[in-house]
Amino acid sequence: MPMVLLNCDKDIPEREKHIYLKVDGEDTRDFLPISNAPTIPGTLSERGCAFCGAKLVIGGVLKDTIQMVHGPIGCAYDTWHTKRYPSDNGHFQMKYVWSTDMKESHIVFGGDKRLEKAIHEAFDEMPHIKRMIVYTTCPTALIGDDVKAVVKRVMEARPDTDIFTCECPGFAGVSQSKGHHVLNIGWVNEKVGTVEPEVTSPYTINFIGDYNIQGDTQLLQQYWDKLGIQVIAHFTGNANYDDLRAMHRAQLNVVNCARSAGYIANELKKRYGIPRLDIDSWGFNYMAEGIRKVCAFFGIEEKGEALIAEEYAKWKPQLDWYKERLKGTKMAIWTGGPRLWHWTKSVEDDLGVQVVAMSSKFGHQEDFEKVIARGQSGTYYVDDGNELEFFEIIDLVKPDVIFTGPRVGELVKKLHIPYVNGHAYHNGPYMGFEGFVNLARDMYNAVHNPLLKLAATDIRGETTTRFLEAAE
Amino acid sequence: MSAEQIDQLYNFCQERYLWQFFSRSWDRQENLDGIFAVAAALFAGEEVKRDTPMEKLFYADAKIMVADFQERFPWIAACKPEEIRSLLSGVKDRLTEIAITKSLNGELTHSLY
Ligand code: SF4
Repeated sequence: MPMVLLNCDKDIPEREKHIYLKVDGEDTRDFLPISNAPTIPGTLSERGCAFCGAKLVIGGVLKDTIQMVHGPIGCAYDTWHTKRYPSDNGHFQMKYVWSTDMKESHIVFGGDKRLEKAIHEAFDEMPHIKRMIVYTTCPTALIGDDVKAVVKRVMEARPDTDIFTCECPGFAGVSQSKGHHVLNIGWVNEKVGTVEPEVTSPYTINFIGDYNIQGDTQLLQQYWDKLGIQVIAHFTGNANYDDLRAMHRAQLNVVNCARSAGYIANELKKRYGIPRLDIDSWGFNYMAEGIRKVCAFFGIEEKGEALIAEEYAKWKPQLDWYKERLKGTKMAIWTGGPRLWHWTKSVEDDLGVQVVAMSSKFGHQEDFEKVIARGQSGTYYVDDGNELEFFEIIDLVKPDVIFTGPRVGELVKKLHIPYVNGHAYHNGPYMGFEGFVNLARDMYNAVHNPLLKLAATDIRGETTTRFLEAAE
Repeated sequence: MSAEQIDQLYNFCQERYLWQFFSRSWDRQENLDGIFAVAAALFAGEEVKRDTPMEKLFYADAKIMVADFQERFPWIAACKPEEIRSLLSGVKDRLTEIAITKSLNGELTHSLY
């Protein structure tokens, strides 16, 4: 009975197909949760919208690009600065937010003119910026604004600019995942191949699916620099718009996030013959393996071994200090999708941590194949989990720490269980060797922080009325 | 060579390598074919061609797999060449089954990415 119907789901029995409890002797030929499917009415989903997947996750990371959100102001605000992806140019992309601020009259009479005005205004206000992505949102897609025609007119009027249109309103798919897909395919169709890069090394890669969360990209860039490997484009951490137009010139696509960016890697392979190499960038063992593979591809194995030895000498004693103190910690991972399979085995092997429950907002079945292959028996694997399910699973597996986003984090704090920001990190970067020590430190500090236990103590005892939480 | 030895290598591959989980069945098949062919050549001490980008990719993945097998399963050093060949083909068959032929992943045969 490995697919599980939780008590809280008794009125929405369809949820059983989304929750799997791994037991010994079974594998993904027997059971695979349904995923990337519409949220079931009656379940309070934690998902974001399709537009969010395109803008917040991928496009908004670019450091030299105006992100024009054609819609009501809320679409822009909700996809701005909730992820911390800095850049080496003063964090332009995190300082500003752009919107056409559509109001009722614009919805009634059409928003084309307003969009055109807003694009010109943005370029006029920021004359050093020449690149822009325009996004449609639910309202402007529904009223049928012809965004591409507007963009064409502006580019004719301003020949030194380049604008990409991403037509992926919130309702276009079941979750953020659709936005990843639309942006990937749109970009490769319209922009890749339109800029020629300056090639400075015999070894060139694109690093795909890493968004410089708290400096991940910049940390890994130190490795590529030491290895003499030129990164033509980071998709999209700390990247310029034009870097991504030159992706066709790399010899190898190194893929970290296969969920949000596997599409463009597949298309670059199909159209330009660039092979796709998937790696895990979180964890010592995994990072070393990734470096070894990239170096084996280029025939520079000795350089790779030297780098790995240097990094191990520097960081492994610190990792081991934390491992000693984290061994046996029970962890839950409730994030987007890929971090489930990137992390479950790396925290187990590198830190002795047991992952007891995992939930994915927008993973596909491919992600569940990966995580069930890597994860332990007795662990819950949940697609599109809701709050009540989280509470029930917490009771079942009793995690010591939960890696999740701030919204769910606030919930679990009320149960006095520490949470670490699994999306934007507490104190990252978390990738690479140094990064995994940061992750270990944040986990250690969370688990051993006495504050949550103190906060659970009420010296007034039973004399006061407690406010009941939703789950009780 | 025993079924248990195939099991050990298969379980290790399942939990370790991302190339078996590419987006579509033909990508998965291409990886399995390419990597296991190079792994067999490496175990046999044969020269491996590394001229095209895909040959280099399969070499990189296979080289790491062979090194992992040798490091984590020391019994493999005592296997004869024909035993290694059937070990590898046994592991490949089982990976093909779970990742392709008996996979429940409904997206594996979509014609577009
Ligand atoms: S669902 Fe639609 S209206 Fe809401 S934020 Fe997303 S794009 Fe905007």
